[in-house]
Amino acid sequence: MIELFHIWKQYQKPYWALSDVTLQINDGDFYFVTGPSGSGKSTLLKTIFRETLPTEGQILINGVNILKVPDNRIYTLRRSMGIVFQDFRLMFHRSVFDNVAVPLQVVGVGRKEIRRRVFSTLQKVNLHQKMWELPGRLSYGEQQRVAIARAVVNNPEIILADEPTGNLDPELAFEIITLFKEISKQGATVIIGSHDRELIRHFGDNILFLQKGKIVGKEAHA
Amino acid sequence: MIEKLKFFLTVTGNNLWQFRTRNLFSVTIICLSFLTVGIFVSLTNNLRATARELSSNMAVAFYLDKDLTAAEVDAVRQAIGAPAFVESVRVVTPDEALERFKASFPELADIVTGLKANPFPASIELRVNAKASASKEVVAFVEGVKMRPGVTDVLFNQDWVEKMQGFSRLAGAIGAFLGGILLLTSFFIISNVVKLNVFARKNEIEILRLVGGTNLFIRIPFWLEGITLGLLGSLLSLGLLFVVISLFPVYIGTSLGSLQELLRFRYPDLAQSLLLLAGGAATGFIGSATSVSKFLKV
Repeated sequence: MIELFHIWKQYQKPYWALSDVTLQINDGDFYFVTGPSGSGKSTLLKTIFRETLPTEGQILINGVNILKVPDNRIYTLRRSMGIVFQDFRLMFHRSVFDNVAVPLQVVGVGRKEIRRRVFSTLQKVNLHQKMWELPGRLSYGEQQRVAIARAVVNNPEIILADEPTGNLDPELAFEIITLFKEISKQGATVIIGSHDRELIRHFGDNILFLQKGKIVGKEAHA
Repeated sequence: MIEKLKFFLTVTGNNLWQFRTRNLFSVTIICLSFLTVGIFVSLTNNLRATARELSSNMAVAFYLDKDLTAAEVDAVRQAIGAPAFVESVRVVTPDEALERFKASFPELADIVTGLKANPFPASIELRVNAKASASKEVVAFVEGVKMRPGVTDVLFNQDWVEKMQGFSRLAGAIGAFLGGILLLTSFFIISNVVKLNVFARKNEIEILRLVGGTNLFIRIPFWLEGITLGLLGSLLSLGLLFVVISLFPVYIGTSLGSLQELLRFRYPDLAQSLLLLAGGAATGFIGSATSVSKFLKV
């Protein structure tokens, strides 16, 4: 369970990127966070995986206050998460395979198992035929799928995806969100930051509306 | 564990290849530094060995007055006694000395044969224990005997031993000084090369952090890089050192005449070779670790 209590975040005075956000997300929930550009979607996701620290407030994940986890132990939190970044954050001098394999390598999974899991994940995002290509030779949409494959390859408990379909055509975007939905059905909590209304309307079990850093609405269709 | 090791080695190999030009540059610098150290080590080896040889053959010869009778020679011999540092004492009669001269310089034998009287005096030869050869005790003893009536001259090669030992110490000091400066240079070169590599891979490091890589996991490939660069540099320097030692007498040695013996290089022994390699690895590791802990805030 992810619990946010009165989260405030300020990058620069006098603007608040997040204002008093309080939220509870249960295990296995499928959440869309939506709102206009600059509404705080990315900041909210970044505070959950502790890439950025809130100015005030508390965040509990499975009862652990993640803001009190020392820096040198933060990897334990991140190993339970799969993150899709808005800017993909791929290693451009490494192959697609190597990029997707990284979360498995850091936890010491064996080479054969890595090969098996990376191949099957790349199959799911329809990139298995480009496994040995460098990401720089792929289209934006394909790069985004590499980032998605990397986020889901280790079957994380929590998936955070910031605009994961921003560069995909509607058909592929639909397929990717379907993939996230399937993962969620297997018990993972999925939180997607997006402003794609069509997708949100179709898949949104839970929708959180943000505006100027504040929660301005919630919908639950479960 | 083995999987992780394989992974680290693969990553290190890829990284070394990716930045091969700057890595080659640092290997060259390390190699030259260790080559300099190696040259001084082998030069010092030779000087030490020469000093050791001289020490082990250290002899003192007391030349006696020609007018001494056999009994008086024996009295001097008795006065010398048998100090602990003396391995053997031998009285050389004038006849023996003459025979030795003839044997050592056969081309001059005719000159002495034609003389009416034997020109060589009797002498007492002492072989000194190698360990005590340069000690003050021996010097004092020689000075004491020299003052005795009937002793006209003394031949003592301690000066040479001391000179050799002095040269050896000087070569060692110069080697340590130059080597120290060059090792420091190697250290900074490795440190800066690894720093550049850290900067060039900032994006990758960030990704590793975000997918749950530990500090150790992120740092190990950089450490391995430094160790590999240091090892490669020192290994290459050892190879070059053997080439230098083999070619030196052929190309330069002969033109040095009698100095050749002093400037002859001796191959470093196994322990010294291993020490050079370990020094390379250590320089690489420390250079890289310093850089990583300074510039890799993870």
